[in-house]
Amino acid sequence: MTDFVLARPGKSRRPDLLAYAALSLISAFCAVPFFWVLLASLDGNAQLFLSWPREWTLNNYVRVFAEEDGARWVFNSLFVVGSATLLVMVLAGLGGYALSRTRAWWKQPFLYAILLIRVLPPTALVVPLYKILLTLNNIEGNLVRIFFGGDTARAIMRWIGFIDGYLGLILVLATMQLPLALWIMKTFFDGLPRDYEEAAVMDGATMLQRIRRVLIPLALPGLAAAGLFAFISAWGDFLLPLILLSSPELQTLPLGLFRAFLRVNTIDYGFLAALAFIYLMPAVIAFGFARRFLVQTFSGGVKG
Amino acid sequence: MVRSTYEKRVARQLLLILSPSLLLLLAFVIYPAVYSVYLSFTNEALTGAAALNPRFVGLRNYSRLLHDAKFWNSLLVTFLFVVGSAIIGQFVLGLISAILLRRDLAFKQLFSSIILLPNAAPEVVAGFMWISMLAGGENATLSRIVMFFGMTPTDWLQTFPLTMIIVVNTWRGIATAMILLTAGLSTIPSEVYEAARMDGANPSQIFRRITLPLMMPTILLYMLISAVSTIAVFGLVYALTRGGPGGATEVISIYIYNQSFTAFQLGYGAAVAVVALVISLILGIAYVRAMKVQV
Repeated sequence: MTDFVLARPGKSRRPDLLAYAALSLISAFCAVPFFWVLLASLDGNAQLFLSWPREWTLNNYVRVFAEEDGARWVFNSLFVVGSATLLVMVLAGLGGYALSRTRAWWKQPFLYAILLIRVLPPTALVVPLYKILLTLNNIEGNLVRIFFGGDTARAIMRWIGFIDGYLGLILVLATMQLPLALWIMKTFFDGLPRDYEEAAVMDGATMLQRIRRVLIPLALPGLAAAGLFAFISAWGDFLLPLILLSSPELQTLPLGLFRAFLRVNTIDYGFLAALAFIYLMPAVIAFGFARRFLVQTFSGGVKG
Repeated sequence: MVRSTYEKRVARQLLLILSPSLLLLLAFVIYPAVYSVYLSFTNEALTGAAALNPRFVGLRNYSRLLHDAKFWNSLLVTFLFVVGSAIIGQFVLGLISAILLRRDLAFKQLFSSIILLPNAAPEVVAGFMWISMLAGGENATLSRIVMFFGMTPTDWLQTFPLTMIIVVNTWRGIATAMILLTAGLSTIPSEVYEAARMDGANPSQIFRRITLPLMMPTILLYMLISAVSTIAVFGLVYALTRGGPGGATEVISIYIYNQSFTAFQLGYGAAVAVVALVISLILGIAYVRAMKVQV
């Protein structure tokens, strides 16, 4: 009895046709914008407009890596977003467990707080965030310069700096994904019976042993969901790299794409579309994996 | 005694493993939010005399807000953007998709995969694809479609900027609405529908008298959460129009960004940010209360 709205089972075929028509229209609306990126990226003479390539080529993709710093952008994006995702999985795994098992007074305020943190618009936080990171960065830079000379210090700061460094972007990207990940993991552990842990406690296992031997294997599905959502959201983020990165060496895919597009007089659409497609693929793949978690995560978020 | 020291130790360990998350959230979310409020009472700027020597200016930024036509414009644009894309566009298309995809149709999986696709596209890629769709001239995809129906093409992002970003954001969010509403639909027991059919109710009566009322809690939650996340949209609009032309698409997050990083008025930008934070928090609190979380 699933078809409750338009027809009784086995009645006329017309409602089915209507359903197909409506779904086809919505799907066309969703899919058409993607055609241009795909076709233009394979077109030797790509334009801003959707057209069937007269000359099929992979040259645009080659140019992303040969003529521009595409490989570095891909590496930067994968490194930054990958590290942030790993960090989120570790922190949310531990934190979610604590939130699920604790009976302390801070449990409820903390859970309400992470729900409310999720609604704060990041743009409203970036100016103070920038100032905080700048302060941390200056303190850190002075410390590093005590021990190392100019060039070495600069190279080190590129890795561990808070502004225009990998570490700062990784930490901030991870923090922005933490509330949802903590929520997913807390809900996940709520659904795990305590029997296993209690058995481990009886056997004299310490907290760390319990986490490593019992909880991590049990928590893998939850961690996969939390990690995938963190990856997708951090991968698509544009605001944070835009504000925190300025060196060309650190540029990530969204910045590379955006800046290539800003060179107004010399826009090279084939190149841009190839770059956009490269940037798009990991997100689509991750989304494919995340699909089976979508319903439980979104509806879990709704029902608590 | 033994038991209570054991419990105390466990409680301490649990707090310890939560503390890294707590620390990051305090440092990079809570503190910046509080700092925003402080900044909004100063004349901080990135350039000029105020940059070297920021002063406390009391409520001056807020009184400036009240008389700033661009601020009111950005509130109005944000409101229309949220209502147009989240409350109407995504909701209507998401509800239609959710209802239709519950039926036993061929290609069901294919349809739902395609509808999910825009959600996966990073903001900049989405903006970029739609620049191609909406470009001026007779060759852009939307222009070709309207010409097929005998209408005049135009430079869409120049002529109907706000409508176009509403269309693009609708496109990006149908999937979220569909997923949430599907979850809501599945909580309605099929006996209710059977009973209604026995009583001779027709499909539109069933929809209005049963589906909609029983879905109301889900719909309310959806509206709140999607309104909040639409207020936060930045990259998509920035990539498409950067707030232009002439402020027509300057939603509040773009206005904050422009005030802070283009006009370098950090204090004033922070006052706008505080307004956005307060609006989002009010909606967020309504959401948390409506969802009756059992934490």
